[in-house]
Amino acid sequence: MSVATTPAGAPDRSTRSDLRTIGLLWAIFTILGVVFALVVPHHLMGRPASNTMTEVERTFTVFSVASAPVAAAVWALAVYSLLRWRRRGAWKEGDPDGPALRGHGLTTGAWMFVSSALCLFLLIWGLDALSKVDSAAAASGDPLEIDVTGQQWVWTFTYPSDGVESDQLVLPLDRPVVFKVTSDDVIHSFWVPEMGIKVDANPGMTTTTSTTPDRLGTYHVRCAELCGLLHADMETGAQVVSTNDFDSWVAGQGGHA
Amino acid sequence: MTTADVYKTDPLHGSPNGGVMRRLNMGTGVIAGVVLAVAANQLLKHLTKDHVHGPDARAMFTMVGWAVGFMLGIGAFTGPFRWLSGRDLTHADELFLAGKDQGVSRYFRFTTDHKVVGIQYLVLVMVMLGAGGSMAMLIRTDLISPNTGFLGPQTYNSLVGLHGLTMILATIIMVTGPFGNFVVPLMIGARDMAFPRLNALSLWLLVAMLPILYSAAFLGGIPMGWVGYTPIADQGPKGVDAYMMAILVFAVSTAVAGMNITTTIVTMRTRGMTWTRTPIFVYGVLASVVLALPAFPMFMAAELLLLVDRVMGGGFYVSNRGGQPWLYQNLFWLMGHPEVYVILIPAVTALMELTTVFARKPLYSFRVAVLSIVGIVGLSVTVWAHHMFASGWAPDLNGPFMLTTEMISIPTGGLFLVILGTMWRGRIWTTFPMMCTYAMLWNFIIGGITGIYLSDVPLDYQLHGSMFVTAHFHYTLMGAGLTGAMGALGYWFPKMTGRMLASTPAFVSFWLVQIGFNVTFLGMFMVGLEGQPRRVVHYDANLHTGNLISTIGAYCIGVGMLVLLYDVISSWRSGELAPMNPWGAKTLEWTVPNPIPLENFAVLPVVTEDAYGYGEEPVTAPEPEPVPASAGAAATGVDQGERTPGAPA
Amino acid sequence: MSPRKLIGPVATVLIGGAFVSVLGLLLHQSLSPAVAARVAAATTPSSTERHHVYVNLSTYPDSMAGEHGKDGGANPDWVSYGPGTNIRVPAHSLVTVTISQYDGGEAITNPWFAKVHGTVGGTETVNGKPVTQVDPEEIGHTWTLHAAPTAQDSLFVSAPLPAVPDSAPLAPGSAYPKPIEVTFSFYTKSPGKYVWNCEFPCGDGYYAKFGGPMSTRGYMSGTFTVT
Repeated sequence: MSVATTPAGAPDRSTRSDLRTIGLLWAIFTILGVVFALVVPHHLMGRPASNTMTEVERTFTVFSVASAPVAAAVWALAVYSLLRWRRRGAWKEGDPDGPALRGHGLTTGAWMFVSSALCLFLLIWGLDALSKVDSAAAASGDPLEIDVTGQQWVWTFTYPSDGVESDQLVLPLDRPVVFKVTSDDVIHSFWVPEMGIKVDANPGMTTTTSTTPDRLGTYHVRCAELCGLLHADMETGAQVVSTNDFDSWVAGQGGHA
Repeated sequence: MTTADVYKTDPLHGSPNGGVMRRLNMGTGVIAGVVLAVAANQLLKHLTKDHVHGPDARAMFTMVGWAVGFMLGIGAFTGPFRWLSGRDLTHADELFLAGKDQGVSRYFRFTTDHKVVGIQYLVLVMVMLGAGGSMAMLIRTDLISPNTGFLGPQTYNSLVGLHGLTMILATIIMVTGPFGNFVVPLMIGARDMAFPRLNALSLWLLVAMLPILYSAAFLGGIPMGWVGYTPIADQGPKGVDAYMMAILVFAVSTAVAGMNITTTIVTMRTRGMTWTRTPIFVYGVLASVVLALPAFPMFMAAELLLLVDRVMGGGFYVSNRGGQPWLYQNLFWLMGHPEVYVILIPAVTALMELTTVFARKPLYSFRVAVLSIVGIVGLSVTVWAHHMFASGWAPDLNGPFMLTTEMISIPTGGLFLVILGTMWRGRIWTTFPMMCTYAMLWNFIIGGITGIYLSDVPLDYQLHGSMFVTAHFHYTLMGAGLTGAMGALGYWFPKMTGRMLASTPAFVSFWLVQIGFNVTFLGMFMVGLEGQPRRVVHYDANLHTGNLISTIGAYCIGVGMLVLLYDVISSWRSGELAPMNPWGAKTLEWTVPNPIPLENFAVLPVVTEDAYGYGEEPVTAPEPEPVPASAGAAATGVDQGERTPGAPA
Repeated sequence: MSPRKLIGPVATVLIGGAFVSVLGLLLHQSLSPAVAARVAAATTPSSTERHHVYVNLSTYPDSMAGEHGKDGGANPDWVSYGPGTNIRVPAHSLVTVTISQYDGGEAITNPWFAKVHGTVGGTETVNGKPVTQVDPEEIGHTWTLHAAPTAQDSLFVSAPLPAVPDSAPLAPGSAYPKPIEVTFSFYTKSPGKYVWNCEFPCGDGYYAKFGGPMSTRGYMSGTFTVT
């Protein structure tokens, strides 16, 4: 399809003034969007409690900043068209039509180029982050291994190296942890929101996730897959404690450190 | 074969005014359905006795009995029966089936006229949206504070699943059903659908499905949400049987409707309506049903295997019997992700269609629009496992599925470009349907961008299964999809009912719904980021603010939707009579008079240009020979002939 | 705009609201009456010591004696706890629970629940004899109390209930054999709403034996409200 010539011809004065105002709107919306992206998600997701969550929040913020100009462009065009090109009163037979623009090759090309470039950026960023997540546990030495079992509607945690089993998750600070997750009945999903890790607990199979907790505190283990009657109550605590406290907890549970 | 062979009239057998088929309607359908259901129930009671799967088998056969009985009783199989008995339907019978001269009663019969079916679909969709919306109000009421105890976990879990399934089924049919059936044949200049009886069949199967679906509430509920994940579905009460059965019936209906609409669009476009002159909405409907054709059999297969598990003791999804829960998830999402675009594409193309009319501009780059639709359709069948990033299935495939998922944002961006380009320097008439386009642009950007977060695997590990996902897909399916359907309703209302949709209540509803919608789901994004899982009946006290915001917004949507319902009912009954072409549109459906005669066109139209020639000199009618290719191309900028949109100009 | 034009939309909204409200009322499930803890007679209110309260529960192989009435309600053959499943106790108190176990059983899926957790001294008494765990091959039920999002404090108590042998004769004048008495105590913390459920899969006939009574309110699970 060829670019149809308009009665008014190529970019005239009114088009330039349209573009100027739209550009201004775009800049304002972009700035608002970027400020929002930098402040709000981080505030809502809270201070990260693990290196994984730090990465999650960083990616969320970067993606938000990167999408701000895109959303701003769409909204700027939409808002401007609504305000500037709005018809007063209803359409009547014989009213003049808008310009017969059936396409604009340069605009289309630029739009496609920019959206492809953004997509490529997101993809590279994602693959890079993914490779970091997958290799983090493998690379670091001496990870603490914990077997996580979900069953309707309780979590239990076994520490094979310490000979301890518990209803609470207790983790030593700054030591990599590998969770081997399974289920005794239906599918559950092991989620520690403050640490940015989640993996489904499947019956008869073991799935793995890992992280390194890096902030002391008490967090949550939640079930993120509808698992029946008490799904909402399938929650327990996840404490991150110092290495000494961890050792004394293990001893208190009758384990061998 | 000549037409005379097909319509062989036989006055001796097919009496023009009598016959059983003339007495069948919804009432006889219900009676036959109940009779067969009770019979099947009693039969299975004797057959299964105390067998461990007895209750499930009995429930299952009762539902089958209802569905078969209802379809028999309403006369869905009259044609085949008459053919088998050697008394094929006469022309008078066919006219009766099409609802000729029957007034309102034809809406309660197995009527084949596509316009009747379209209206029936519209009412059905509104009923389903009302049911799903009521459930949403109850869900949000329960979540108004951390621990209301209003519904209790069992009722809540069921309600979440039934709300989800109701809304998914309703949104799948909400554009292709009412508008695909009513408008598309008019738009392409056809007298009816290719298979009018299949058309009625697809509609009445859905009517038969609804009691089955809602019987789940009385059979112990469904514990596993609308996705029906196994093995919790293996564990559930008889409500799960109702869930499976409803989906089986729905899948048959969709397959029938999909084949019918596809055939109609491909073969029945009027003379001169080449692919480049076919309106974009027709493309949207075609893409939607073509995508549904491979998608829903996946769902059907998934449920059939589950049925074998539950009713016959199979173990497809039970790991200690060699089964695999991930198999269900794969089959389900092979349907589940294409389905999102089954919902979105026709809604967005309806908005494109009406944007050209209300901006008085040609569609910006028809070719980009078509290629974007094709791109989305193609990519959408390759992205399903992004729903399974956190399931633990095939971690090595996370990267490839992330790639395909993020690539889909490129053709989706193309759709935005087309709409924005069409608005560019238009003379925008801000009617209710046009405002729906603006609302869609706002909502779909948010839905699209949050979708990109979810396509990123490490982010998805955090966000999957949280309220963030719930908010995201409401932004796409409701914010973009349902808003598009509401725009389509406002736009085609004058043609479908012969009356104008009153403007003031429509705008009141528009602002209530759109503001309420954004309040609701921004609140839901908030609690999702704060760590609230999906489908929980109560939640941590520190998540209260966002949930309260969501509930207030939800009530606002509820009020807004009721105002729209009032507007539709009152305008339909006593609204201002609509002129033939109130918006000054150029597509063919606006060239037929109100009310539309039975076979639409007295003389089938001949199309010489596309429907977007705003601001251009019209192409004169072809006489005596077809317009020379060069003349048409120069005037309309559209290629002549049967050239596909992708071919180089 | 004349006020008459408002009648239609307002009426529609009211009718819609009424419809949803009626639906809500029909679906609203009020909790069955709570089993309130008995305060021990010896404890005086002025005492600086904690309250000591008692809760008596039973587990039955059917639901004739629970909260579903004498005829057992919709599913009389489902196992159940009785006399009720919603328990209310005071905060910061010592709670002594006595469970009369009338039901049989078999091996438990997760042997960890054959051990006693979270009780005073880490023990329970079975027919008067203190134990820290029971035979994981012979479990009838468990009473497992755990935290929920609606509770501030973590509170985890799990007491296994040994199975009554299938060969046990019926007690005279009763439809059940002589019960096994299990007693254990624990301390409650601040007020909040907890939940408890049975961790021995006893919903026979359902996948993982966790359907039916295990997945329906008022049988093998309930609320535990600390006030």
